[in-house]
Amino acid sequence: MSPLLKNNPRFKVPGYLVGPILILIIAMTYGSLGSEYFLDPSSIIFNTGRYIEIGLLALALTFVIINGDIDLSVASTLAASAGVLAKLFESGVPIFWCCVASIFTGLVLGLINGLIVIKLGLPSLVVTLATLALYRGLTQVILGDGVVANYPENFVGFDQRLVIGGNPGLPAPLALFIVAAIIFYYILHRSNYGIKNIMSGSNPSSSNFSGISVDRVRLLAFALSGTVAGICAVMITSRLGSTISNVGLGLELLAITAVVLGGTDIFGGRGAISGTVVALFAIMAVREALVIQDINGQVQDAAIGLLLILTVLVPQIRSYYVEKRNRRKRFNEAQART
Amino acid sequence: MAIKLNSKVTYLFKKREFGIFLFILVLLAVFGTLEPRFFRSDNLSAILSSVGILMVVGAGQTLVIVTRNIDLSVGSTLGMAAMVMGMVARENPDFPIFGLIVIAMIVGGLCGLLNGLLVSYGKIPAIIATLGTLAIIRGAVFLVSDNVQIDPNDVPQGIINLATTSPIGIPWLLIFAFLSIILVWYVSSKTLLGKRIYAVGSNPEGAISRGLSFNKITIMVFVFVGVLAGLGGVLYTARYATINPADVGRGLEFDVISAVVIGGTNIFGGSGTALGTALGCILIGILSNGLTVVGVSPFWKACATGFLILAAVAIDNSVRKRQEQNFLLAIRNQRTVN
Repeated sequence: MSPLLKNNPRFKVPGYLVGPILILIIAMTYGSLGSEYFLDPSSIIFNTGRYIEIGLLALALTFVIINGDIDLSVASTLAASAGVLAKLFESGVPIFWCCVASIFTGLVLGLINGLIVIKLGLPSLVVTLATLALYRGLTQVILGDGVVANYPENFVGFDQRLVIGGNPGLPAPLALFIVAAIIFYYILHRSNYGIKNIMSGSNPSSSNFSGISVDRVRLLAFALSGTVAGICAVMITSRLGSTISNVGLGLELLAITAVVLGGTDIFGGRGAISGTVVALFAIMAVREALVIQDINGQVQDAAIGLLLILTVLVPQIRSYYVEKRNRRKRFNEAQART
Repeated sequence: MAIKLNSKVTYLFKKREFGIFLFILVLLAVFGTLEPRFFRSDNLSAILSSVGILMVVGAGQTLVIVTRNIDLSVGSTLGMAAMVMGMVARENPDFPIFGLIVIAMIVGGLCGLLNGLLVSYGKIPAIIATLGTLAIIRGAVFLVSDNVQIDPNDVPQGIINLATTSPIGIPWLLIFAFLSIILVWYVSSKTLLGKRIYAVGSNPEGAISRGLSFNKITIMVFVFVGVLAGLGGVLYTARYATINPADVGRGLEFDVISAVVIGGTNIFGGSGTALGTALGCILIGILSNGLTVVGVSPFWKACATGFLILAAVAIDNSVRKRQEQNFLLAIRNQRTVN
């Protein structure tokens, strides 16, 4: 257990949140140096709109990664769902049923991932690397190089709508994200399924022996990540108002970064929704701070990559020195005894 | 017993590569009968030169994956090496070609060293460390080049000639590709170092307890793939003559890992051969070129690659399971005889 948690768990920040919160504070300070409007609440709240899809994908990926699996294909699943939505809309299906079909497509593609991983016993890294290409390819086959646009007025502009009006109001995507985060928090940390999820990630074989169907838990996590990708496809189509075949390209890396930055162990067995949420806002703050300082997009990605490495590296270095100190202490005690 | 098992394993490896080889022949026959133009010499040389870059990087990636690691940053490393080399060539037009190649390989090696240090001494899982450096090195390419691309007339003619000419008829690009495959084959099957690399991959704890330096071997394979990615940067420059900071080597990691996995290297480490990787690269090259020549929409290419990875991994897995069963049976029989 982290020494921070040792004294009073109720009033201490958990160890995995320290890194993201520090990043959040530093990025906020750096951004506010660039422009006095950076910390303006309404601008902050409206900037969240572009990151909500990443956030939702990251929430679902938290479950998959806690299981010790990984889903690299989320962004491609999103694209394939968006492709189905666009093609159905083009052929005259009412937009509501297009959305339902899109979410259903996500569910099916997630289940396909899960079934291949579990039934054939293949590593999820390779399987989802393959379906990353496969689903993106399907999207390209469905959509070709065309653009589908002209969605109805009442469908587009989801991110412009306010759930609570006023200034600063609460835009719909942020409200959706908050609700989703609370639901996922209860599923992971308070429900039977969440406990099974964490247990089967930390030790699959002993969980299997104690009556948890590890396969079913993993399959559900894959299905969840697919379904959420389908929902994100609806959101991103509504936000952009058009669909092309490279929609959401590379989102999986940002989503995985958010999950890992939030303290979820990439080998499974440990993780928390709160970490993913704070990490998402940290990534957002870094991005926006660099945008306001007029720094190139590739360099923004580099900054986030650097943060990813540092958040894993710094605790390692710290635990190395703590270990060294303890060893010396034990040695001195042993010396004193003799 | 040991000798018997060894001969069995090598037999299996032969068989696995033979399977890929047969598949390549089938593909060649199909594409050749559908479109005789496929066998024209200019088309074949186009395939080979696109495969060459993949082979050089894939040869290094094989060893990394054999040690249970993965290097996602090869595309960015290739870009960095090409960019630094291009800038040196632009400032000093009279710089010797050999010197330029050495510079690119050193830059690649330094990027690999960074990865190796993070994975070995930093104890960061390779997939996270190289996901981070993928973004960091790409950002560094932008900072180094100041977002200015290297134009064809700034690239020395000697470099461009590497893709087309050589003293013995085959272009230098292919000679480098074959040399790197042969080097990896030699190291992995004929040297003690190779045995150590495979030992670390198949059983890290066992290898450490037998006195192998885990950190040293990890750093070595990462530096090796970095150097080869640097060489890949030279070949990329030779083939395309333009170095754009955003495009150079982008997405290469996906093709390289696909080729290595199709070539039969186990993503969980411990097994894999250079010959398999070479065949995997050729297979991907033939597939993507053949589909275009035959007139199938290029959108199917990603689908086909995805299917290929899934099929390769599934077949590999079933072969491996049968091999394990045979092994257990052999042990049981041995016991009953005794």
